[in-house]
Amino acid sequence: MSRGKTWALRLAGIAVFVLAWEITGRIFGDALFAPFSAVVAGFPATVRDYHLFVELAGSLQQLLLGYLLGCAVGIALGIMMGRSALLDGLLQPWVSMMFVTSIASLVPLFIITFGFGLLFRVAIVFMAAVWYVLLVTYHGARNVSPELLQTARAFQSSRMQIFFKVMLPALYPYILVGMRIGLAHAIRAMVIAEMYVIVGFGGVVYNAGVEISTVSLLGALLTIMVVGVALNEALKWIGRMTAPWYSERQQLSN
Amino acid sequence: MRTSLTRPLVLYPVSIVLGLCVWEALAHVIPRALFAPPSAVLGRLAAMTGDGSLSTALLGSVQHMLAGYLLAALVAIPVGIVVGRSTAIATAVEPILNAVYAIPPVAFAPFFVIWFGLYFEARVALVFAMCFFEILINVLQGVRNIDRGLLDAARALEVTGFTLYRKVVIPAASPFIFTGLRVGIGRAVNAMITAELFFSAVYLGQMLKTSSNAFDTASTFAVIFAVSLFGLACQEGMRLAERFIIPWHHASTA
Repeated sequence: MSRGKTWALRLAGIAVFVLAWEITGRIFGDALFAPFSAVVAGFPATVRDYHLFVELAGSLQQLLLGYLLGCAVGIALGIMMGRSALLDGLLQPWVSMMFVTSIASLVPLFIITFGFGLLFRVAIVFMAAVWYVLLVTYHGARNVSPELLQTARAFQSSRMQIFFKVMLPALYPYILVGMRIGLAHAIRAMVIAEMYVIVGFGGVVYNAGVEISTVSLLGALLTIMVVGVALNEALKWIGRMTAPWYSERQQLSN
Repeated sequence: MRTSLTRPLVLYPVSIVLGLCVWEALAHVIPRALFAPPSAVLGRLAAMTGDGSLSTALLGSVQHMLAGYLLAALVAIPVGIVVGRSTAIATAVEPILNAVYAIPPVAFAPFFVIWFGLYFEARVALVFAMCFFEILINVLQGVRNIDRGLLDAARALEVTGFTLYRKVVIPAASPFIFTGLRVGIGRAVNAMITAELFFSAVYLGQMLKTSSNAFDTASTFAVIFAVSLFGLACQEGMRLAERFIIPWHHASTA
């Protein structure tokens, strides 16, 4: 399919979606499901009345803190578990258990342990991101080609050299994929935590729901959608910029 | 190196015992109201299982979880197959799908309250929303990745219409369909507990809420553990079903 045709189809798909939304909205009305035009027209009021951008900025800061912590711990543990059979065996049962634990079920417990503030939100986001980053990095670390490592050893490379010049570049695409999966889960967890204690962006969503303002509700949903897509694209872009040799593999993992 | 001492059979029990010891030691430093020791959690778990309160709650929770999950599978699988069969439709739908997927499903919860209220219907809707896209995306990918040679052969043999789907498309896409169903059931269990916390508190969600409100962290941990175990069992169940229903895939990847 030509590039032009692909884009034409995509635009057509978006147009049909927006049209269907508009018609559904007109039928059901603002109280049940606001039409697209009303959401766009009401967006400035949504931003003003709910302090949407201020709340979102605050939420994203805490998201970033928990997410980056999760990435750091996930990458480090993932590499260690992938390269050491001992650590792998000692940590695997607990990691597997944490991986299947539902983030929502942790929310009431974390409120007791961490309160309602910064620590609570950061801890929830951390828990949502870390296991995905860890697992993908772990699989990457296990799959580093033995030939590559043997060659490096044959050339008398030091352990540090092997780690930084061979392991990390080989792991890089895995880490990026893990970080992208982790990010999606981090955003979901942030919204769960914030809607539960009614703060930040999640608080906006909750309050708009309580006031049965579907114009504001849909405006907030569109906003988090744009943020999610933009952050994901930013991570992809960073990958392309910092490691162009892996762009092909990245496309495969889309 | 994998020696006899680093085999999972040896290390996993060591890991579990060691982890429990660390947890127990930590719990003796941190106040009980914030962090219960594993001995207390196991005690509560045994008590809950013994008096039947856990199984009663689980039985209630499973209702909306299964209803939402089955509904999502029943819609997502046919839609994914039909959309995936046409390159044009798939191209047109893809941007919308990616965009909507970027919205945290829990943010739709206020809508479900407005449309369906706070009880069973709202819970089913949230479970549906949280696993529908997961299943759809996998089915779509499976149908899009069918070997062209298979389809050409089918065309040469003049296999068309319903037979083509039943004999070629669905079997060829089934590994992906099962992946979607397995990931989806994990999400459904998360959604189940999320719904019970966000709408009216019932069953396991209510147990989580009342125990954490009373600072009875042993019971909170016990419920979290039970939910995790249930999620794990559901996913393993799907894995077994996959092996039983499409044994050829397992044989080719094992």
